[in-house]
Amino acid sequence: MELDDLKQKWKQNDTIRKIKNTDIMELIQHKSYGPVAALKKAFNKQMRLMAILPLLIFATNLDDVQKVFTNIMFWSYIAFCAGVIVYSWFNYRLVRKMEGMDKMVKPNLEEQIDILETRVRWQTIGIRIVAIYFIILMEVLPYIQHIRMLDKWHSLSPLIRFTFYAAFLALQYFTSRRVLYQKFGCHLAYLKSLIMEME
Amino acid sequence: MQKQEVEKYFEKDIRENELLIYKVCSIYAYTDADREDLFQDIVIQLWKAYPKFNGQAKFSTWVYRVALNTAITGLRKQKSIIKADQPAILAANIIDDNYDAGEEDRLQQLYTAIEQLGQVEKAIVMLYMEDRPYEEMEEILGISQGNLRVKMNRLKEKLRQLTKNM
Repeated sequence: MELDDLKQKWKQNDTIRKIKNTDIMELIQHKSYGPVAALKKAFNKQMRLMAILPLLIFATNLDDVQKVFTNIMFWSYIAFCAGVIVYSWFNYRLVRKMEGMDKMVKPNLEEQIDILETRVRWQTIGIRIVAIYFIILMEVLPYIQHIRMLDKWHSLSPLIRFTFYAAFLALQYFTSRRVLYQKFGCHLAYLKSLIMEME
Repeated sequence: MQKQEVEKYFEKDIRENELLIYKVCSIYAYTDADREDLFQDIVIQLWKAYPKFNGQAKFSTWVYRVALNTAITGLRKQKSIIKADQPAILAANIIDDNYDAGEEDRLQQLYTAIEQLGQVEKAIVMLYMEDRPYEEMEEILGISQGNLRVKMNRLKEKLRQLTKNM
């Protein structure tokens, strides 16, 4: 049987199996379950969590508020959380651009690839900045304020400490590449294969 | 326009084109649950994009764009490969009692062959079966008409080969 023979049958409206209970007005009250919606939800959650974290630290030290405000670690957390919030907001905006589904299929796919690649690039940079931020923090903090948990670490020779930092950065480089590939690489490869199919 | 009025127009427009959405669901989703999920997601995406519809394209063309974009980029639960010896899932989505047994077998083979096509190829085949002109197919897919014609010829041949090997 040729494809053209199938045409007539395909066009017969009564041959397509309909979906039960399609209350359009009820359906639009639901939230999308797609990957873009999932990403948006994840970034939204990340922003909320990072906003709550400093409050939690503050709440657990209510008995000595003065101590919290003068603790450099607390302000480091604040800076970290603020950074993550800005980063998540940026990602959230980026992902929102992916939501528009009314463009032509090919330009839409190209745009999604472009957005995802930008996101992966920013995530790589973001993770590296966070790692370097904590290394600097661990090295600089004891000169500003006495932090008991860093005493032992600073009793080690600088050579050992910096060798550890270098190893940590190298490990972070490879693991983040792998995690990013698992998270976005497969989807990116899939989108690229669709573009290839269109060429 | 008030929200209730927009909802009324939206429901009317979707009802007029729902068959088109069913067809996209039938070609891209393999289980009843997947088809329902996909249908829901397409309707949600249409609702989100509805205020942006400016009438430059035909409404059905616009619905195709949203439906295909959602199906191709959204449905991640899909099975990667459907083997030729598996019962035709697409055929199960199409009901017809008017064909004789031999005819039905050949139809099943063709549906099974379509299932084995790539996501974009499926979209092209579906639009072809819908008798959409190449000009409109270009408007939906963003692939040039010349390229579409070449692809369509190759696809017909590919389907011929696939059904021959079953």
